[in-house]
Parts: sequence; C-alpha cells; structure tokens
Amino acid sequence: MMNAWRNFLGETWKNEINVRDFINDNYTPYLGDASFLENATERTKRVSAVVCDLFRQENEKGGVLDVDTDKVSSLLAYDAGYVTSEDIIVGLQTDKPLKRAVNPFAGYRNAEQSCAAYGYELGEEVNKAFQYRTTHNTGVFRVYTPTMRKARHVGLLTGLPDAYARGRIIGDYRRIALYGMDKLIEEKKKDKIALGDEGMSEENIHLIEDVAKQIEFMNQLKEMASMYGYDISLPATNAKEAVQWLYFGYLGAVKEQNGAANSIGRISTFLDIYFTRDINEGTLTESEAQEIIDDLVIKLRLVRHLRTPEYNELFAGDPVWVTSSQGGMSLDGRTLVTKTDFRVLQTLYNLGPNAEPNITVLWSEDLPKPFKDFCAKVSIDTDSIQYENDDVMRPRYGDDYAIACCVSAMKVGKQMQFFGARCNLPKVLLMSLNGGKDEIYGEQVGPVGETCKNDVLKYDDVIETFKKYCSWMAKLYVETMNVIHYMHDKYAYERLMMSLHDTKVGRLMAFGISGLSVLTDSLSAIKYAKVTPVFDERGLVTDFSVEGEFPKYGNDDDRADEIAQWIVEYFYNELCKTPTYRNAVHTLSILTITSNVVYGKKTGSTPDGRKKGEPFAPGANPMHGRDKEGGLASLNSVAKLDYDCCRDGISNTFSIVPEALGEDDESRIENLVTVLDGYFAQDAHHLNVNVLNRQKLIDAMNDPNLYPNLTIRVSGYAVNFNKLTRDKQEEVIKRTFHEKV
Amino acid sequence: MRIHSFESAAAVDGDGVRYCVFLRGCPLRCVYCHNPDTWESGGDDISVETVAKKIARYKPYFKNGGGVTFSGGEPLLQSKEINEISQHLKKEEIGYALDTSGCVELTDDVKKAIEGADLVICDLKFWDEESYKKYTNGSFERVKAFLDHCEKIKKRLWLRTVIVPNINDNVDVLNKYIDIAKSYTTLEKYKLLPFHTMGFEKYERLAIKNPLLTTKPMESEKLSNLQTHINKQLER
Repeated sequence: MMNAWRNFLGETWKNEINVRDFINDNYTPYLGDASFLENATERTKRVSAVVCDLFRQENEKGGVLDVDTDKVSSLLAYDAGYVTSEDIIVGLQTDKPLKRAVNPFAGYRNAEQSCAAYGYELGEEVNKAFQYRTTHNTGVFRVYTPTMRKARHVGLLTGLPDAYARGRIIGDYRRIALYGMDKLIEEKKKDKIALGDEGMSEENIHLIEDVAKQIEFMNQLKEMASMYGYDISLPATNAKEAVQWLYFGYLGAVKEQNGAANSIGRISTFLDIYFTRDINEGTLTESEAQEIIDDLVIKLRLVRHLRTPEYNELFAGDPVWVTSSQGGMSLDGRTLVTKTDFRVLQTLYNLGPNAEPNITVLWSEDLPKPFKDFCAKVSIDTDSIQYENDDVMRPRYGDDYAIACCVSAMKVGKQMQFFGARCNLPKVLLMSLNGGKDEIYGEQVGPVGETCKNDVLKYDDVIETFKKYCSWMAKLYVETMNVIHYMHDKYAYERLMMSLHDTKVGRLMAFGISGLSVLTDSLSAIKYAKVTPVFDERGLVTDFSVEGEFPKYGNDDDRADEIAQWIVEYFYNELCKTPTYRNAVHTLSILTITSNVVYGKKTGSTPDGRKKGEPFAPGANPMHGRDKEGGLASLNSVAKLDYDCCRDGISNTFSIVPEALGEDDESRIENLVTVLDGYFAQDAHHLNVNVLNRQKLIDAMNDPNLYPNLTIRVSGYAVNFNKLTRDKQEEVIKRTFHEKV
Repeated sequence: MRIHSFESAAAVDGDGVRYCVFLRGCPLRCVYCHNPDTWESGGDDISVETVAKKIARYKPYFKNGGGVTFSGGEPLLQSKEINEISQHLKKEEIGYALDTSGCVELTDDVKKAIEGADLVICDLKFWDEESYKKYTNGSFERVKAFLDHCEKIKKRLWLRTVIVPNINDNVDVLNKYIDIAKSYTTLEKYKLLPFHTMGFEKYERLAIKNPLLTTKPMESEKLSNLQTHINKQLER
C-alpha cells in the first residue's frame, strides 16, 4: 500500500472508498494547448494495422467475424487472448480478438436468434447449461399483463430491455487501481455484516444476497487477472498498472454482461495522476504515456456483443457505448481537464476516427480555452465526439459523475440506472383520437373512449383527451419497467459492475420519449391551423387534412416550443405518480438512438403532415427540414427544454457544412467553440456535432470503399457510416445540414 | 421595419457568429441578383422592439466579435429604423455590421447608421459609372462617396465582388477594382463571390425577366485564382 500510494496526498480517501477525494487531492489541472502530444509509436502503428485488418475482415463477413458457440460467457470461460505479442494492456473478451461470446442470461431465445442471424448454432454445452435455468426474458413474460404485451406489440413501448440485458451501469473501475481487490472485498464483507445487523426485512435480504453475489465475482476477477499473469489483489504501483487494473475491471464486466451500453466512466483525470507521477519520477516519457492510452483505446474498440437483427434495428451500427467522459470542472472551481484528456482525444488521430470509445466532453463555460479549441478541432476533423453540459449536470450530480450510453448522467460508483427505452408519444395522441384503439392494428389497447368527431379538431378537447391517455400510458410504462427490472435483478444481476458501486447505491429509473418534435408540431397544427381527421373503412382516424400554416418546433418560435416544453413536463410528472421498483428516482430522456426510424415505421400519419411509416426526428431534434431559420434558431428551440424534467438527457444532433462554420480552419474552430458556449450558456444539455457535407454521405452510401472509416455522430453515439443499413443511411442523409450556422 | 427574413450565419457576413436580418427594398437591379424577392419594399412592418427582441435571443452566440448583420435588399434604405434599433442593441451590448451596396444618398441618417456600425461590408459591384449603369441601374459616384465617407471616419471595411462569367472574370477587369480598393486604408478583407444560379427559380416564381438566364455558374478554380491575384495585389 505504502509504495503504491507514494507521494499521494490526502487522508479521507485512505480511510474509506472515495475515488473522488483522491482525485481532488492529487490531480494536476492542465491549462495548456495540444502541442505536447505525441504521435503513434511504431509499435502502435503495427498493432493498429492488425486491428484495422480485423475490422475489415469482420465487415466482409457481414458484421460478425467469429462466435464461440461452445461456451457461456463468463470471467473464467476463455483462455487468455491477445491481439499481438506486443500488447501493452492485455485482455480480450474471448480467446481471440473480435470473436464474440454467447451470453444467454438475459434471454436464451435472443442468444439463439443472434447466432442464427450469422449462420451459427448454439453448442450442446450451452443448451445443457440453460435447460433448467430461467432467464430474465422468461421471468418478465411470466408476469407481463395482457395490456403490457399489447402496448409492446403495437409499438407504444419499444426497445424495452425485456429480452436483452439492460446495460447503462458504470462500474467504478478506478477503485481497483487505487485500492486493489483485497481491500474492496474486505469492505464488501463488512457491508454485508452491517446489513445483517440492520434486520432481515425483504429489502435487506435482497441487498445482502446482492452483496454475496458481488463478492463471489470480485474473487473471480482476481482469478481472471491471474490468467494474464497479474495479481490485482493490491493497488497499482504505476501508470501502466493503473490502466491495466482498471481495464481488467471493465473487461470482467463485459465478459459477464452484454447490456445495451457498457460505459467506461470518467477515468482520464484519475489516470493522469499516475501518469504525472511516473513522468515526474523519470520512469515514463510522454510518448510512452500516449502509447499506453492508445493501447487501452485499441482494446476498447475491440469490445463486441452478439446481437439480433431486431436489436440492430433499434441500435444501429453495432455500438457498445464505451462512453468515456472527459473534462468538466471541479466543485472547487479548478478544471478537471488534464493532459490525459488531451491524450484520449489524440487517439482519434493516432489510431484514426472510430465510433468507440464514445468520447463525451463535459463542457463548461470555464473549461480552459486551449482545451475547447482542441475539442473543436477534433470535432471538425473526425465527427467523433459529443458534448454535454457540465454546468447543468455538476450542480445536480457533483463533480464525479459520468455519462452512461449517450446522455445519462450518474455519480460514478454511487448511482446506477434501470434503463427503460422509450414510449412513443405521437402514437398516444393517435390513440386518444381513436378512443383507445391502435391506428394501425385497430386493436383496443388503451381504455375505451370516444373517437373524435369528423370535424375540425379543437385544441382544448384534443389536449384534454390526450392527457387522459398520457396518464394511462405513464402508469403502464412505470409498471412494465418495474417488472423488467425486478426480473433483471433476479436472473441477470450485474454482479461485478455492482461490486464496484457503494453497497447502498442510488437508483435511477430512466424513462424516455420518442417523437417529441412530431407530437409538438402535430399539436401546433391543431392549435394554429385547421386539422380535420380522415377516417378509414374501420372508422379509425388514419390521416389528417391540414389547412393553413402553423409554427414548427426548431425555429425559436415560442408558440411551438412552449408545446414541447409542456409535453415533457406533463409526461414526466405523470410518470412520477407511480412508485418504482426499489424506490428508484424517476428520470426521463429525450433520446432515440437510431430507433426513431423504427418508431416511425410503427406509427400512422400524424397531424403535422408526416405520413404513416415515415421516420421521426432523432432525440429532441426538430423534424428534418422544418428548422428553417438557421442552426442557431434550431439550437435555441432545443435549449428551452427543461433539464430538471429530463434528467436522463436531452439529445440533439447538429450537422453543419464546413463552409458555414467559417472560411478557414482557424475561424471554424473559433466559431464552433462560440456556438457550443452559446448553446450551453442557455442550459441546454447535449450536442452531437457533425461538420460535413451531405454529398460526402451520399458518395459513401453509393460506394462504401470511398470512405471506409467515415464516422458520424447519430444520436448520442458515433457510428461507422458503412455499418448502417440503407434505410438508416437514407434517414441520416435526409436530416437537416445547416448551410448557415 | 420591413423585413424579408432572418437567418443565422458565420464568418462571411462579419466577425464571429452572425445573426442576419434581411431588410426589404433595394434601389438597384443588378443583373446577377440572387435575391430579387427582396427588391420591393412592401410587406409587413415589424416593430423595432420586436426585431430587437428577436436579435437578443442570439446574444449567447455573439462572443468573439459576433453580432447582427443588417443585409438586404439595401439595409440603408431603412437607416432611420437601424438607428432606432441601434439604441436597443447598445443596451444589450450587441454590435452590428452593415452589408450594403453603398449606393445610397449620404443623408444624416445613413451617416449615423454607418457611424454606429462595427463594420461595413460593401459590395463593390462594378468599376465605373458606365458599368454600374449597365449592370445595376445604380451610380458609381454614390458608391465612391459612400466609401470615401467610411474612409473619412476610419470605419472598418470589407469589400466584396460577385464575379460573373464573361462580365468581370478576368484579371484586367479585376485590376480596376483593385485600383479603387487600394485607396481605402481601413480595408481589412476583399472577398470574391462566385455567380451562381440558385436564385433562378425566384425569377421564375416572381415572373421577372432573368437577364443572365444562359450564364453558367462561376468555376471555382478560376474564382480562386482571381482571389489569389487580389490577395497578392492587396498584400494579404
């Protein structure tokens, strides 16, 4: 311990598990520019070439290079695997790079279908292991009510983690490096005994069993590391070990779990303390420091899970969301930006652009200007990073939170999330006009009500009915989520990830809305134009005739934007009325990932003029082509949404052509920084930035070989454009590319 | 104020990030105009307060010298209103740029509007009285007087010229522009813009005869050669 902690300051973190205080007591803020950074070493170039070739082979084989169908994924199931004999940071999910593991804990059928989709069959061993085992998916469907099934079937609720693992939990992998596993296990054992002393309520029994499972997996993690020749019982003694210890924690987590998002957390400032110490002691050079970070990022880019085609529809491009949070400010006013934040961004040059890790810059007005400039430069050059507003999150989550997945903030090691996909609100509007019937299937899904009259729709009447169905929907949504997460805890509990959390963890239950802009514009049309429903032969409203103009969300026009503000506030408050499983705090996101296409497919024509089956806009984006007053007006509209109603994030994807940002590189960087500052100064939450021309995407769609590594931000994450299906590519191309800022 | 439209923009229309207000009405009829829909001065009259409020929404983006740009049409036809709105903008600490043809009478209101601007961007459309008459229906003497006034009060100046194939797309003609530009000491930037055909459908829609219907868009390589020439001559 003494040697590992040499020259580290502070006492509090030594007496309790407290990474945040360790960081605050020991880090060195960096206020300079990017000129200190080093390029890839010859070794990195060699390894990177091997990895690029593997990516190419994977692509050529239709997206999956290989599957190990004979084993059930776990920490100890596979022999040690390496990319090359030159690996600096070691460890792979299976024995070979890009060979995918089978993980049926969340759903056996799901695992079977995933294999089948790529021409594989589950092995006899796996079959046997799960013959008498209940999966999460089985548990959920035992309990689902007929209404829950119907809501899911017609697409009111889509993408729920009821057949796949929930993800969005971030283990505090830094703890392993700072304390070593033995100390962490010891603390968990103490917690377990203390809980027993608190009395055996159902709640406590549940938690005690959780901790017992955690300890079992903490021991397995030690064993996994020893397969690679490392003993992680004790703290890391230098930077390379710190990165390796931390990565072992992450690796164990992705061997155990295949949840939708496996984020790495907020590691740069922490690791920088080790890099700085080694450099000061003369045992590490800048080039070697960069090489270690480059090698870690290579490993993170190799993480894969086996998915079904249906899953890929919702979350296109095979994302893992190895979200890495950079920058931000400390509560004491110092910046948390360190040289290692620059080093992580530098990987996009040293290794080339890539969708992973999902680099997320926690933006504050007070970030050092050279860091802002470097981020803007990287955005313009690579379209690979996103921005989230530290100035709105820090007051609510402190200064040691991280982003899971796309936009979900949580305190690292202190909060976890029950992920809940999203609810299709435009469909709820159509249902309210149809007396509770689904506009596509014609089935009665919601409570029986009156179908609207064959006359111009009156805004107040529409709102009154809509509110009733919204309340019904909100209650059903919370209850469905309660079932899902009860079963996930029971049958697919994240033992390792949760072992790297405080035992008495804070829980967030993350709900979501899809189709915000469609619903806003639909209600605006009803309010400001004349909308008459059109009935089909079943007597259902399936279309609308619209006479006159109406204000549209995305033009900084309060008449439309106030409707959007009202929707999120109303729906959020309705959700809060129904209690949650394990007393989780209700949160809401306006985020669709790429499922805006699927949601659109499942939704009839809407009063805003969108036709049946057409995609929604992603996240909180204004509808494609309707934000006509320029980029800033569009940003201003989204900035009006209240983060306190949407604590799970408000996703906005912004694409602009380079010429509109400025005449040369210098002014483009300057102007992008100004736009980000201006947007976030209005308490906006999130921005994906793409600086590119539409034509480039059209060319890439027609000939994928033109730009094999073309990476773009879609909705809270980045994808390799070539990994998107044609319909998703077309939808991305249709989005607004601002030709004026 | 009689306004055609609002739009946010960057770099080319002034320093930093800009918010552009396109005012209606123009005394010129340039053959290559891509906004014939801004010629007439009719349409709704929006109060100065309303416009100022709308502009103020973009204040968060006006760091680093950004601000509002009054464009058109010819913004200085509404110099009185610009001077009024200028009072509101001053309170909000928002600066403005003028994007003008300079082809206006130098009234007291116009002088005041120039005085209040952070930057004047002037379209130097042609090079003498005859060419102005032929292609714009305007007067070179006016533009000259306007620019001389800017020089007199040391106003920051950018010049712009639209390069149209077969009219002014050669070095000999360009040198005439350069001779004019050389006499202005506050000139910071001289930017050439390519003639394009994106405004053609507006002529059709408005049933206005398009004098350059058969002219092709300016080639970008040729334009960039001319820009290099101008930069060299003006030593930038």
